[in-house]
Amino acid sequence: MAEDTILELQNITKIFPGVKALDNVHFDLRRGEIHALMGENGAGKSTFIKVITGVHAAEEGKMILEGKEVHFKGPRDASDAGIAAVYQHPTSYPELSVAENIFIGHEKMKHGLIQWKVMNDEAAELLGRLDADFGPTEEMGALSVAQQQMVEIAKALSTNAKIVILDEPTASLTQNESQKLYRIVRQLRDHGVSVIFISHRFEDMYELASRVTVLRDSQYIGTYDVDKISNADLIKAMVGREISDMYPKPEVKIGDELLRIEGMSRTGFFKDVSLDVHEGEIVGMTGLVGAGRTETMESVCGITKPDEGKVFLQGKELHIHRPADAMKEGIILLPEDRQKQGLILSWGLNRNVTLPIQEELASHGFNDNKKENELSKKYLEEVDTKAVTIFEQASSLSGGNQQKVVVAKALAQSNMKVIIMDEPTKGVDVGAKAEIYGIMGELAKKGYGIIMISSEMPEILGMCDRIYVMCNGRVTGCLDRGEATQEGILTLSMENSAKHEHAETEAHS
Amino acid sequence: MAGKSGRTIQSVQKNSLKSTLLSWEGALAILFIALNIFNSIISPSYTVTNVLREMPKYLCEIFMLFPMAYILILGDIDISVGSIVCLSATMGCFVCNTGLPVGLSFLTCLAVGTLCGLLNGIILTTFTELPAMIVTLGTQIIFRGIAEITLGSGGSVSLKNTAGYNAIAGKVGIVPIVFFLVIIAAVIFTVILAKTTFGRKLYAIGSNRTAAHYAGINVQKCRLIVYTIMGLMAGLCGMFLTSALFGANTTTGQNFEMDVIAMAVFGGIATTGGKGNLIGGIISAFIIVLLRIALGQINLNSQLILVIIGALLIIAVLIPGISSSFKAKQKMKAVE
Ligand SMILES: Nc1ncnc2c1ncn2[C@@H]1O[C@H](COP(=O)(O)OP(=O)(O)OP(=O)(O)O)[C@@H](O)[C@H]1O
Ligand SMILES: [Mg+2]
Repeated sequence: MAEDTILELQNITKIFPGVKALDNVHFDLRRGEIHALMGENGAGKSTFIKVITGVHAAEEGKMILEGKEVHFKGPRDASDAGIAAVYQHPTSYPELSVAENIFIGHEKMKHGLIQWKVMNDEAAELLGRLDADFGPTEEMGALSVAQQQMVEIAKALSTNAKIVILDEPTASLTQNESQKLYRIVRQLRDHGVSVIFISHRFEDMYELASRVTVLRDSQYIGTYDVDKISNADLIKAMVGREISDMYPKPEVKIGDELLRIEGMSRTGFFKDVSLDVHEGEIVGMTGLVGAGRTETMESVCGITKPDEGKVFLQGKELHIHRPADAMKEGIILLPEDRQKQGLILSWGLNRNVTLPIQEELASHGFNDNKKENELSKKYLEEVDTKAVTIFEQASSLSGGNQQKVVVAKALAQSNMKVIIMDEPTKGVDVGAKAEIYGIMGELAKKGYGIIMISSEMPEILGMCDRIYVMCNGRVTGCLDRGEATQEGILTLSMENSAKHEHAETEAHS
Repeated sequence: MAGKSGRTIQSVQKNSLKSTLLSWEGALAILFIALNIFNSIISPSYTVTNVLREMPKYLCEIFMLFPMAYILILGDIDISVGSIVCLSATMGCFVCNTGLPVGLSFLTCLAVGTLCGLLNGIILTTFTELPAMIVTLGTQIIFRGIAEITLGSGGSVSLKNTAGYNAIAGKVGIVPIVFFLVIIAAVIFTVILAKTTFGRKLYAIGSNRTAAHYAGINVQKCRLIVYTIMGLMAGLCGMFLTSALFGANTTTGQNFEMDVIAMAVFGGIATTGGKGNLIGGIISAFIIVLLRIALGQINLNSQLILVIIGALLIIAVLIPGISSSFKAKQKMKAVE
C-alpha cells in the first residue's frame, strides 16, 4: 500500500436478491485526493459507496482505513471513523428545519439540552460557505431538490470528516451552483480531506478529479489518471462501446405553433411568463435553480393553479384545472423528482410505465395486463433500462435507471402533442443520455413540440432550437440556436435584480 | 425494439406454488382450515347448521370490510362507520314504525348511510390538509349524537312490525340470505380492486399520492367516491343489523369501526396505504367471525374473546415483516 493511501478496498462483492451489484471491486483513495467514480447506470457506484459507509455489508472483500482493516456495522461506525457521505437519494426530514437536518444525529448539546442558537449559527455559517440562498431555520420540505442537495452537503461538511463521499451531487445543480460546489470541494482537498465524487457529468470530473475509477456491469474496469486518458477512451471504458454523436439533433422544418403560454403568473414563484413551442421544435428552458422553470411548467400542466395566464394549444385556448386535463389535450409532463413525483417505488416497472394510460389500454374499465406488459417492455427497452424483468420493483433500480423508467412512462402516452421534460437526463449515464437525445430528435422529426427544462449547458446548447432563460421567476431572454452561447445564457440567468426593480418601477409609473 | 446496448427485459412472470403459500393470503388460508379443525374440537356444537344460524349478526359487519379496505389502501381511515350504522338503523326503524312500506325503511337506511359517507368525503376532499382520523372522529361523535337525539330519552327503538325485516333475515335452505349477499359483495369488491383501473388508482394513491396526482389521477374524486361507498355499505350493515335485532339503540354499531379495521389489518392490508388485497381481508374476516362464534359457543366471556382477537392482530402485523425477510434470504441463496 502506497504511503499516502488513506482508504483501500479489496475484492468487494455485494449481492442483492437477484443481482450481483459488485463483483470483486478494487479501489484506493489517497490523502487529499479528489477521486471520481464513474460508470453506467446500475454499474454499482452507489452500492459501492454504501458498502464503504456500512449501509450495506459486503459478502466478500476487505476494507483498510489508514492501514487498519475495519468492519463497519452501520453508517454510524463510518461517521465515527471520519467518513461522511451525501447519498444519491438522501432521506431528509421534511418537517424539520434546515439546521436540524444538518445536525441530525450529532446535535449540539449542553447539559442535555439542544443549543439552538449555536446550531443555527453554525448552520448559517456552513450554508454561507455554500452560498446558499436560504437560511438555517427554513423548513426542509419547502426547499427545491437542489437546495436540499446543498443541505446534505452542509451536513457532510458539519462532521469535519477525513473522507467525504458525494454521490451525484451535481445532478440537479446548474452550472453556477456546480461552480460553487467545485470551490468547496477544492477547499476540502486543500485541507487534506479526501473526496470520492460520483457523477455522470464529464465536466465535473475534468474540473475536479485527479484520478478516476470506472465500474461497468458490477465489475472493476480500471483506475486512470484524468490527464492521461482521452475522453473517448474513458467513454469506451464506461459503456464498452464508442459513442459517435452525443447530440443527434436532426434538421427539422419548424411547423405551426403548438403551445403558447401568455402572461402566466403565480405569486412567489414566477411572473408574467410567455413562451411558445412549434411543431418539430425543441425548446430549452434554463436558468439558475429556483428561477421558476419547474413551477411555471407545473402550472401549465395543471399540477398547481396559476394566478393568471392563458394557455393555447394550436391556437385554441385551454382551460386546464388538473393534470388529467393537460394529458387529455396531449400535453405531457415528465416531472423533475423521479422518486416523489415520477414513480411509485413499491410498484413494478410495468405498472409505473402504464399508470397514466391504463384507462386507454383497459377494456370496459378492466386492466389489460397483457397489453400493458407488452407496451411497457417496448418503451423500457427503447430507453435502455437495465432491469431483469418488467415486474421488478422500481425501488430496486439504480438512480439513473429509475430516471429511464420515468422517461419511458412519458413516451408511452401516445396522444402526445407537446412533451415537457423536466431534467430528463438527470443522473443518466452518457450512453443512455445519447439515447434519450436520439429519442428527442425522433419526436421532433415526427412533429411533436418539446420543451426541455435543463440545468446542463451542453445538452441545452446541443439539442435546442431556441432557449428561454429564466431568472427570479421571469423570462429574461430567448436565444436562437445560432446565437446562443454559454456566456450569453449565463449573463441572462444572472441578470441582477436591479433591472427587475427598474422594470417594476417603470410599470408602476 | 431494444436499446443500443441490445439489452432486453423479460416480461414473463414466474408464480410458483411455493411463493403463493409463502404469501400472507396463503398463510391465512391455512390458518382458516386449522381454525375450523380447532373449533370443532373445542366446541361440540360447532356444526355447519349452528354456525350458519349464528352468523348473520356478525356477517353484516363484513359489508363494511370491503369499502374499509379501499379506504385503508388509499392511505386514509374512517372511524365514523359504527356511528353511521347506528344512525341509519335508527332512522330505518323510525320510518318503519310510521307504517310506511318497509321498502322505504330499507331505502332510508341506505340513503342515510350514503349521505353520512358523502359528508365525510366532502369534508375530506374540500379541506385536503385535514387528517382523516380527526375528521371521522368528529363525525363519529356527530352521527351518534344525532342518533341519540332521535332515539330520545328511552335510548332505543323497537320495530312494531317485524314482517318486512323478517323477510331479509330469511334463509335459503339452511343458508341465510345475508350470507349470499356478503359473498356477492365480496366478489364485486374484490374484482374491482384487483382487476379494474379504479382499483389500480386506489393503490397508486395510497402508495404515492403525489406521483398519482402527476400521473393524472383525480385523487380527491377517488376519495370522495370511496368514502361515499363506505357510507352506503354502513347503511346496508345497519339495515341487516336491524333485521337481526329488530330495533336499534344508542350502542348499536359501537366499535364496529375497530372490528372492521382489525379484519382488514389481519388480512394484510396496511394502514399506511397501498398494500394488501381483499382476498386476505375476506379470509381474515371469516377467521375472526368463526373464532368468535366458537368461543361464544363454549361460553368464553366476551372480554376474553376481545383479548384473544387483539393478540392475534398484533401477531398478524408482526409476521409479514418476518416472512418477507425470509423470502429475501431465499432469493439471496439462489444467486450465490
Ligand atoms: N436495494 C436493492 N435491492 C436490489 N437490487 C438493488 C438494490 N440497490 C441496488 N440494486 C441493484 O444493484 C445494481 C447497482 O446499483 P447502483 O445503485 O449501485 O448503481 P449506480 O452505479 O449507482 O447507478 P446510477 O448511475 O444509475 O446511480 C443495480 O442493478 C440495481 O438494480
Ligand atoms: Mg447511483
